Amino acid sequence: MHSLSRRLLVSVSVPLALFFGVMMLVLDTGFRALSERSLQELLDSQMVSLIAAADPQPDGSYAPTPQELDPRLRTPRSGLYAQIRSQHHLWRSPSTAGLSSDFGALLVPGERHLAYAAFGHDRVAIASRAIQFADDPKGTRALTFSVAVSLSPYEEQQWRFRRKLLGWFAGLMLVLLATLAALLRWVLGPVRRMEREIHEVEEGRCEALGAGYPRELSGVATNLNALLLGERKRVARYRDTLGNLAHSLKTPLAVMRSSLSAGAESGAVGAEIDRMTGIIEHQLKRAAASGGALLGQAPVEVAQVAAELRATLLRVYAGKDLSLELAIAPATLFIGDRGDLTELLGNLLDNACKWCRSRVRLTASSDESAGARERLTLVVEDDGAGISADDRARVLGRGVRADQNVPGHGLGLAMVHDTVDLYGGQLSIDSSPLGGARFSLRLPGR
Amino acid sequence: MRVLVVEDEAALRDSLKERLGEAGFTVDVARDGNEGLFAGLEYPLDVAIVDLGLPNLPGLEVIRRLRAARKTYPILILTARDNWQDKVEGLQAGADDYVAKPFHFEEVLARLQALLRRAGGWASPQLNCGPVMLDTRAQTVAVSGAPVELTTFEYRILEHLMLRAGDVISKTELTERLYDQDFERDSNVIEVLVGRLRRKLDPHDELRPIETLRGRGYRFALPRDTAS
Repeated sequence: MHSLSRRLLVSVSVPLALFFGVMMLVLDTGFRALSERSLQELLDSQMVSLIAAADPQPDGSYAPTPQELDPRLRTPRSGLYAQIRSQHHLWRSPSTAGLSSDFGALLVPGERHLAYAAFGHDRVAIASRAIQFADDPKGTRALTFSVAVSLSPYEEQQWRFRRKLLGWFAGLMLVLLATLAALLRWVLGPVRRMEREIHEVEEGRCEALGAGYPRELSGVATNLNALLLGERKRVARYRDTLGNLAHSLKTPLAVMRSSLSAGAESGAVGAEIDRMTGIIEHQLKRAAASGGALLGQAPVEVAQVAAELRATLLRVYAGKDLSLELAIAPATLFIGDRGDLTELLGNLLDNACKWCRSRVRLTASSDESAGARERLTLVVEDDGAGISADDRARVLGRGVRADQNVPGHGLGLAMVHDTVDLYGGQLSIDSSPLGGARFSLRLPGR
Repeated sequence: MRVLVVEDEAALRDSLKERLGEAGFTVDVARDGNEGLFAGLEYPLDVAIVDLGLPNLPGLEVIRRLRAARKTYPILILTARDNWQDKVEGLQAGADDYVAKPFHFEEVLARLQALLRRAGGWASPQLNCGPVMLDTRAQTVAVSGAPVELTTFEYRILEHLMLRAGDVISKTELTERLYDQDFERDSNVIEVLVGRLRRKLDPHDELRPIETLRGRGYRFALPRDTAS
């Protein structure tokens, strides 16, 4: 029940079905009353013509003249049957031939009776009436006239009527529901559009919700856009502040360091300056790493960031005979902050360039089947000495403090680890087929 | 070697000037972006150190304009904003390397020397031309394995000639590398220094490492060892 349209459809179709059900019941009852009346009329008229046609026979019984009989009474199993019965005589219409027919008991003169019975497989309604003729004052020849009519044509009609009724009502209900669904689609269109646009903003395909929403939703859209913009500005200001803070702390540290004499640089004061620098570096960078895409921020092209870093590193390591290969699947995207990706790859590639003999390789690919936070795979490997199993654990261990990280692997790896954690990704270290260390990152991407 | 330091922090600037001077560099300083750009365009520099956070004209812009004016000497960036985005932008603007603040002076010096070597086409800090070996890190010189004692000026001239071994270098250029501002020095001083260098490196007049090209300048004539 999480869809508005489904809720509406269900809540409308239940009363609709109830209404149609009651309607069917009323119509059905009406139809049945009507057919019962016409049955009654048929019985009555047949009864009257039977009584009128009854003639006394020489043996003292009564029977209609065959010529005056309704043709149906002459046809076997026609559905219309008749009987004239007295204490000593019995006449049955030819239509009962071959049927086990029981028209019921003799009646006292003046009595009328209506009963239902079965002639073979045929259900019938039987009307009976006892008559004493005026020329028989003792009533010794009292006659019981019975007329039976098969019910099956009536029942069949009733069923046909019901089927037709059901067909019409079901069709009508379907048409109504379909109309309602179409209406809902039209009415809820803007809501659906908003949902789609919010999704696009989330995925970074557009920056804000579009214009042209109906009055009821335009306020929501405007507020949402204001919120998005505000959030982006807030994060930008936050990062600027952190950057400025780092800058304004490190410049005095640089002055302090430069004012130490050459010999004192490695002394206690120098060591403390190094430690403070490490803390500023580590903590401020960690605070500035966003750890996720801002809403409305476009995904980052991995290939572009990698190419820029490659150019930078080749220049910085110009004194080293080094090949830096990029193997990046086309249109590999990182969903997150560009600065964070630059920092991650910069640190890993810088380390690799520092420790390699001559080869560094960056591989990037995306895996649509992986979880949302691990779709992008980045692998940085080199042909250097590698990292021993003990050091791998230390590098990956949580809470490595800025001033006690693995020697030679600098602050960079702690930073990489923190950032990957912020994105809910995975970082692993093993050996590369090139011979050195291999860092594998799994991050949100496409 | 003549180096320009563009840094707005006075204490840092003075300390860099002093220690680079001690390390054998001729040092020019500038206090902001505009001064830095002027000095970078006008002085005959071998290398420049530019802080990115400069008043008046940002360091990145200084570097861009120097490169636009076809200044090809190496540029080392100093930055307190130690993140990769800034490094990428700095190097895209035309810088060659970066050092994060606060730095160890030794690191700045090592990077500078590496940049100078690379600019001269040398890969290692040891310059070898035949039997003559000059170590830019230790600032020592040896001929056929035997150390040679040189004065500061003699060393600077030899380093300059050897870094660009094979190129002709004018007396004026050598003079400018020895002194900060005074271009009016007697060029005889260079002749005297080169004469002394020749005697120290080649007492028996067998190697003839430094060639004189009349009216044009000097050339370090021994071929570079390809291995270095």
